[in-house]
Amino acid sequence: MVVLREGMCPGLDADLLRDLRAADIKTVEDVVSSDIEELAQRCSVSYKALFAIRRVLLAQHAAFPVSGADLYEELLSSTAIISTGSPSLDKLLDSGVYTGEITELSGGPGSGKSQVCFSVAVHVSLHLKQSVIFIDTTGGLSASRLLQMLRAETSDTEEQMEALQRIHVFRLFNIFSLLDCLFTLRSGRLQQACVGGGSVKAVIVDSVSAVISPLLGGKQNEGMSLMIQVAGVLKTMAKDFNVAALVTNHVTRSESGGVKPGLGVSWSHIPRTRVLLERREGGADSSLRSATLIKSSRQPCHIKAEFDLQSWSRSKEGSSGKRKLEETDS
Amino acid sequence: MTESGAQLFARLEARRCLEDIETRLFPGDGGPEHGEVVELYGSEGTGKTELLYHLLSRCVLPLGAGGLEVDVVFVDTDYSLDMLRLVSILDSRLNAARSFSSSGSDEEVLGSCLSRLLVVHCSSSSQLLLTLHFLETTLSSRPGIALLLIDSISAFYWLDRSEGGTSISKQEEKLSKCAELLGRLLRDYRITVFATCHAIRRNYSGPSSFSSSSSSSSDIDRPYLCRPWKRLVTHRLLCSRQETTNMAAPAAGSSEQKSQQVFTVHCTSSSSSKTKSYRSSSFCVTDSGVEFI
Repeated sequence: MVVLREGMCPGLDADLLRDLRAADIKTVEDVVSSDIEELAQRCSVSYKALFAIRRVLLAQHAAFPVSGADLYEELLSSTAIISTGSPSLDKLLDSGVYTGEITELSGGPGSGKSQVCFSVAVHVSLHLKQSVIFIDTTGGLSASRLLQMLRAETSDTEEQMEALQRIHVFRLFNIFSLLDCLFTLRSGRLQQACVGGGSVKAVIVDSVSAVISPLLGGKQNEGMSLMIQVAGVLKTMAKDFNVAALVTNHVTRSESGGVKPGLGVSWSHIPRTRVLLERREGGADSSLRSATLIKSSRQPCHIKAEFDLQSWSRSKEGSSGKRKLEETDS
Repeated sequence: MTESGAQLFARLEARRCLEDIETRLFPGDGGPEHGEVVELYGSEGTGKTELLYHLLSRCVLPLGAGGLEVDVVFVDTDYSLDMLRLVSILDSRLNAARSFSSSGSDEEVLGSCLSRLLVVHCSSSSQLLLTLHFLETTLSSRPGIALLLIDSISAFYWLDRSEGGTSISKQEEKLSKCAELLGRLLRDYRITVFATCHAIRRNYSGPSSFSSSSSSSSDIDRPYLCRPWKRLVTHRLLCSRQETTNMAAPAAGSSEQKSQQVFTVHCTSSSSSKTKSYRSSSFCVTDSGVEFI
């Protein structure tokens, strides 16, 4: 809904606006869908002038059609694939997390959702030298774990600090501050957010379900509406700024006894790629996790991969497995 | 409103009829005629998008490659159009056709296919309404456009529900206006509309489509969008996914090592002239898109 204001387009002055209001025409939609001829008579304004106003308003507020060929060209030059830092997970995702779309990681507690997020953040900031927006809604972001992952990749302290600089953390604990943050980012702050050069390549929300799920349930629509708003701003941001949106979700039991991602059927249409993470059977302290692709437009669904959380803390140069660090925060 | 001669010609000249867009999908001889609306309905992961890409590529592919060579407008309200996937489907179909006949270079043919597609992204229901108004000029200037795809028509359902407050008519106002406008565009320009609709309202008493293996008559299939839209829809394609049980795997009986996901589409047509007719068809999804079985 766009309310008509004075000076929105040439010819729309205070007098005309008053006449239009009197004829119960208050928004751009009203002007566009009304019968111009009849309206011109009622407001005693020339048909031509009103027609011109309608045309300008339409051009201003309607979405513009783009040729598929142009869109494809643009996509080819701007799409990036971000590695998750785990070769098997990358293979599952057809070489990584794609920019321009929402990827969802779902799983129970301790299934490694946050760890994958950290690894993506580290990969973007260290290897691609680009910025990351990390929105932490659970308080689960551990800076020391990030540093630990960086240390496994490089021994240069300077480089580690630079990489940490490029990870911008927002700590938000309710949906309104999340929406506020996302809307500010979309309206241009995203491009300003990059400090150490390079543009933002990934927006990570860990976890999206923590702020949304308390609002759902019952017969009210507000929670649903807020959820779709979060989805909408993430989708437009991913598309317009060409960033990868990575969100995490909790799991619930499905009717057949297995696990399925939470947030219900309306959310299920939102992410384009969905991965279900699970703890491997055998040993509670095992760091092996399995990942199942449950939705993808590129790969056949229900393929599985395994990855090891500890591989992100092992130094690449040293003989692997030698420096086993104790994990407390997975 | 004045109309130039060229505009009048574009409007009145018969657009390509899409009756034969996919004969394996619609009952009998009844594909979608001029001015008809097809709704693809289903929950997540039931092959709606793949089916849409299949129909889209059928439209934009050149005649030589088994296409219809018509222009298509894609209204993307979900921001879900995966261009890379679409291109890979088009590519494989073009390659399959090239083995029979030789045509221009790959890039050129693909480029001409894609230039038959117009994409608009909408992020709110009022923008959708304005965009449909705006598209009227596009329709009148391009007589090649025969198909309008909307993915999805239910994208702003919850936003409108919440914005409209307590009055149902206020909640449905935007979509009703869109439906009325679409009805006029369908009459005036004789195009065909395909729209997807997500199953997003779950009835808590009934079993969900995820668990119930083959029954598709649960409450989740009931249409929930506003009446003006329901009146527009003449063909309803109900998409569902068959559970992949181990015994159902060897469908073709050949040496398939992987069990393939099978999708089922149930079509209900109710054109004004004909009585209701039904047809069920199944397909599976491969690298080159939808393949009917």
